[in-house]
Amino acid sequence: MEGPRAPGCGAAIGKSFPLESVLLGVHGMRIFWLGMALVILGLTAPANADEARKDDRACHVPYRMTGAQHIMVRAKINGKGPYNFIIDTGAPTLFVATALCQKLGIEPDKKGWGIFDRFEIEGGVVLTKLAGRIETPFQLEGMNNMGLAGVELHGVIGYTVLARYRITFDFTRDKMTWEPLDYNPPPPEGLFGKGGPPELNAMAGIMRLLTGLLGKRPQPEVAPRGFLGLGLADATDGVMVKSVIGPAAAAGIQPGDRLTEFDGEPVKSSADVHRLAARLTAGISVKLTITRGGSRQQFTIKAGEGL
Amino acid sequence: MNRNCNLLFGVLFLGLASPLQADAPKAVTVPFELLKTKHMTVMIKVNGKGPYRVIFDTGAPVTVLNNKVAKESGLLKDIQKPLFSLFGAVGQVNAETLEIGDLKADDVPVMIMDHPTVEAISMALGPIEGIVGFPFFARYRMTLDYQARTMTFVPNGYNPPDAIQALMTMLLAGGRDKPAKQVIAPAAQWGMVVDKAPGEEEAGVTIKEVFPGSAADAAGLRAGDRLLTLDGRWTDSINECYSAAAHVKPGAAVKVTVQRGGAAMELTVKPASGL
Repeated sequence: MEGPRAPGCGAAIGKSFPLESVLLGVHGMRIFWLGMALVILGLTAPANADEARKDDRACHVPYRMTGAQHIMVRAKINGKGPYNFIIDTGAPTLFVATALCQKLGIEPDKKGWGIFDRFEIEGGVVLTKLAGRIETPFQLEGMNNMGLAGVELHGVIGYTVLARYRITFDFTRDKMTWEPLDYNPPPPEGLFGKGGPPELNAMAGIMRLLTGLLGKRPQPEVAPRGFLGLGLADATDGVMVKSVIGPAAAAGIQPGDRLTEFDGEPVKSSADVHRLAARLTAGISVKLTITRGGSRQQFTIKAGEGL
Repeated sequence: MNRNCNLLFGVLFLGLASPLQADAPKAVTVPFELLKTKHMTVMIKVNGKGPYRVIFDTGAPVTVLNNKVAKESGLLKDIQKPLFSLFGAVGQVNAETLEIGDLKADDVPVMIMDHPTVEAISMALGPIEGIVGFPFFARYRMTLDYQARTMTFVPNGYNPPDAIQALMTMLLAGGRDKPAKQVIAPAAQWGMVVDKAPGEEEAGVTIKEVFPGSAADAAGLRAGDRLLTLDGRWTDSINECYSAAAHVKPGAAVKVTVQRGGAAMELTVKPASGL
């Protein structure tokens, strides 16, 4: 676990030893603490009664894993969004970030609970009049401040939602299955009064320290791939052009042409073409080499918009 | 009593499942306890020692065990414990085996630490020794059923990445330089152009053009349709539409929903091989 450590670290260099280093150690140990701080395990005050209802059929809910290995789904609140939520059996209820609720005009009651008139999870899970905490868990705040998830996280979906469904997770598939249960989960009970024991705030403190130490990861710019209009088929002797539309048709490529090179690289399968075109965006030109009736020809196609 | 019912349910489920799928890996159903805080707990054995009660947490990218369990199960054998550490944090080790009911996983990465939240729950509700997270459950197709108080596991061959390694790579590689542009590539050819004006907040994207003879054309999509979902995924921006298409392989028949003239309709599209 120990990261690289300069010999005689600290005193020998003549610098004062910063408190964070004592608490959180060198880089390798910081990652350990980050891993620990990312465990989303929460306690809550008693819930208000909530009258959420659910629909009647199994839903296939798309998810993705965040950079911190959390299961993330998207949800719309009162038709707005989508917003990003973590699926967490370690959370007793639904948590929605304070800033988002402000934006949506959802006011917390005196105990910090709000009612979400329509809460829809991508894939067709719809809950109405759902109660949830209007609160930003420290793990979320930390991940957002460090840019760890790759997207902004807006909340955590916990027990009061999850318990209404029989949920199947399979990380070899890209969707979860949520089957509604005829079950109205009893609300969670709080263990402690407001705030809880001081130990509960310890991980939050560590998360804040780490955020300062590790800084924010810049987010990449995202663009859709360009469109060539090439229909492809894998044949025994290489890649055949099966159909042409849009840019490929305009450039003079014809069905029946055999594609041999993509931007100077030999291609043997349509998978090769997809790989070589993976970074192609609209407006960029590519050179295609084809054989037609025994002769080799070169074409330039300018990628357009489309899919 | 409740627990016995759950066990019975588990046995029944197995009895039904096995004749149907003779060659499929065996499903293992284990009961869980729901604390009054609504955390799920299960009993585990670590390197054959235990059982220990731990919280089962899909929001945990790591598995955590306290120093007591680590010591008893021999996890600290080859580890030099630091002189001082916050909450007894030692670091990451590998458990040779981690068992829940009849389920036995080999070589499971475990973080050793006396997690303060776990300790707090433990003080109020009886001994809890840690948290089982992603590195364990990701190896299985897992079904959680709060009503039956059971979880069912079937090995799925998935080898979960090490969370700590992944964080390390992400935080160290590339430093704070601007990362390279990401391009979202559809996996198949649809034959349409989608558009959405910046700042427009209505759901979906507008189909600007459908190429004659394309898969989109054959499915009956038309220019002017508002595309709301593609294979069950929301398409509220151009990028989201491409992300959804990145999951659809050539030849797969998938449903799309569009709004046309005020009415929502569902169409089936079979995108072609190409780009």
